[in-house]
Amino acid sequence: MKHFFLVSSDAELFKLFKEICPHVQWSVFERGAGAIEYLFNDPPELLIVDNDLDDISGLELIRLFKSENVYRQVPVVLCLEKEALRQNLDFSMIEVDDFLVKPLDKELTAARLKLTLARAGRALDANPLTKLPGNTSIIHKIQELIVRKQEFALAYADLDHFKSFNDKYGFSRGDEVLMMTARVIVNTIRAFAGMDSFVGHIGGDDFVFIVPPDKVETVCKMIIQSFDSIVPNFYDQEDRAQGFIRSTDRQGKIQTFPIMALSIAVVFNLEGELCHYGQASQIAMNLKKLAKKNPKSCYVLDRRKSS
Amino acid sequence: MQDLRVERKGRLLAVKDLPTLPSVLDEVSKLVQDPASSTEQIAKVISKDQVLSAKVLKMVNSPIYGFPRRISTIQHALVLLGFNVIKGLIISTSVFDIMAKNMIGLWEHSLGCALACSSIAKIAGLKDPEEYSVAGLLHDLGKVVATVQLPELKKEIDVLLKEKELAYIEAEVEVMGFGHDRVNAWLADHWHLPLRLREALAWHHRPKSAQHYPDMAAVVHIGDFLTRAFEVGSGGDDHISYLKPEALEILNLKLTDLEKVLDDLGQEFVELSDFRPED
Repeated sequence: MKHFFLVSSDAELFKLFKEICPHVQWSVFERGAGAIEYLFNDPPELLIVDNDLDDISGLELIRLFKSENVYRQVPVVLCLEKEALRQNLDFSMIEVDDFLVKPLDKELTAARLKLTLARAGRALDANPLTKLPGNTSIIHKIQELIVRKQEFALAYADLDHFKSFNDKYGFSRGDEVLMMTARVIVNTIRAFAGMDSFVGHIGGDDFVFIVPPDKVETVCKMIIQSFDSIVPNFYDQEDRAQGFIRSTDRQGKIQTFPIMALSIAVVFNLEGELCHYGQASQIAMNLKKLAKKNPKSCYVLDRRKSS
Repeated sequence: MQDLRVERKGRLLAVKDLPTLPSVLDEVSKLVQDPASSTEQIAKVISKDQVLSAKVLKMVNSPIYGFPRRISTIQHALVLLGFNVIKGLIISTSVFDIMAKNMIGLWEHSLGCALACSSIAKIAGLKDPEEYSVAGLLHDLGKVVATVQLPELKKEIDVLLKEKELAYIEAEVEVMGFGHDRVNAWLADHWHLPLRLREALAWHHRPKSAQHYPDMAAVVHIGDFLTRAFEVGSGGDDHISYLKPEALEILNLKLTDLEKVLDDLGQEFVELSDFRPED
């Protein structure tokens, strides 16, 4: 069951929220200070704070909570008087996700809470760089397809020699390459597999995509072709001309590294053979080792149907 | 004068909805409506139109996509932007209404130059001829933008060209205080175009001044010259431009090498009349 916190000494306010969301577990705190420890120990799915508290200000409570990175994903809604809006609230400093103006309108409040929760779900898991769905969404999606016994091809893609590129050119140049890779994957998949597809960004240079099994080989070929043809643009002129970069390896020795390449490992779920997400990623990681043996961009299909 | 220059630069860079000619826009509109069209097909058509090409490159190099100044070919731009974005961009492009007739010559000239540049790059043994072709296509974009954004000055330029025996760029400098090469440089910076394109656009009249990529500027310089010599389209004046020997030196080409280019181009130039409405 979802757990919502309300920090308010106004009993009427709680009555209203309870009516709007009867099927969640509510914890109500009359005093701000009393809520803090609970908030830190057991953060809720939603925090509603009444600006008008007796001990500390609602804003102060929110600042305290949201300034810790681990709690930032919890959506926070501030309830305030219309009067307070005239005080020129600085929302770049106050990290609330939404506010409600008292007296609360029941229908409006219900819709606003729903939206706040939905928005928090979207924002929570997006990769901050590419804005693609992150790990939680990826696992959720794969698990869902497995449970529905739907046939799919699941591909894990990553870049060879990305680290040495980053070491030589710096992180922001590395980010450019990741943004480019994300666009190549997204557009290729949309063009060939349409809506039956999914692209996620695990993090760093690791991407995942899901397409119908009969489309996966074409998609891999197209992605590799586009990536290989575009990636030289991200190198400096001389490195591009010589076809490699000089950089320091993990042991601190100067070494040369070729232009980045894409390795893709593809796992199939046909006839419901996969039982859970971990199994899929395990198979993929083993295949990836095979793909990595090839210094050029390549894809390896499960069942040794190699390119 | 300095204030005037800043004011004009501001007006030039404020350009939105740059219009194009109807012929290519119609063709590409049909392609994007058809889900069976391939990126290659669409890229091929867009590559014939300087305004559509410029819009596509401006968008893919905008910081929102996260890799400014990296993409210089239409094919790559289309892969990275995707079908949706291209479709939106095509739908939102308008066409010239009154000026269309005057612009046809310039469109033919720029496409002719694109073909010439691609051929010159091949003969000079340069990699990625498509990049040189894009540079050739866009080399007079500054003229288009100036015509749209500073129409009253464009009129003065045309009047001046009738009165005096001047090259277009000389008339531009006399009227505006700067030429389309300068406009090109401003646009390339403002739109985050790759340095290779910027240098070609900014220095095609003076290839030696290109600091980083004189080869790009030299190819476009020669391409521009050949297109004018062949009288393909119009660069806006009747002036015969001359070939700067430095351009050949930069590319390690001899005058005789250009004959091969001309052989290549003869046929292509003949076919180049896509912009003329069928009579």
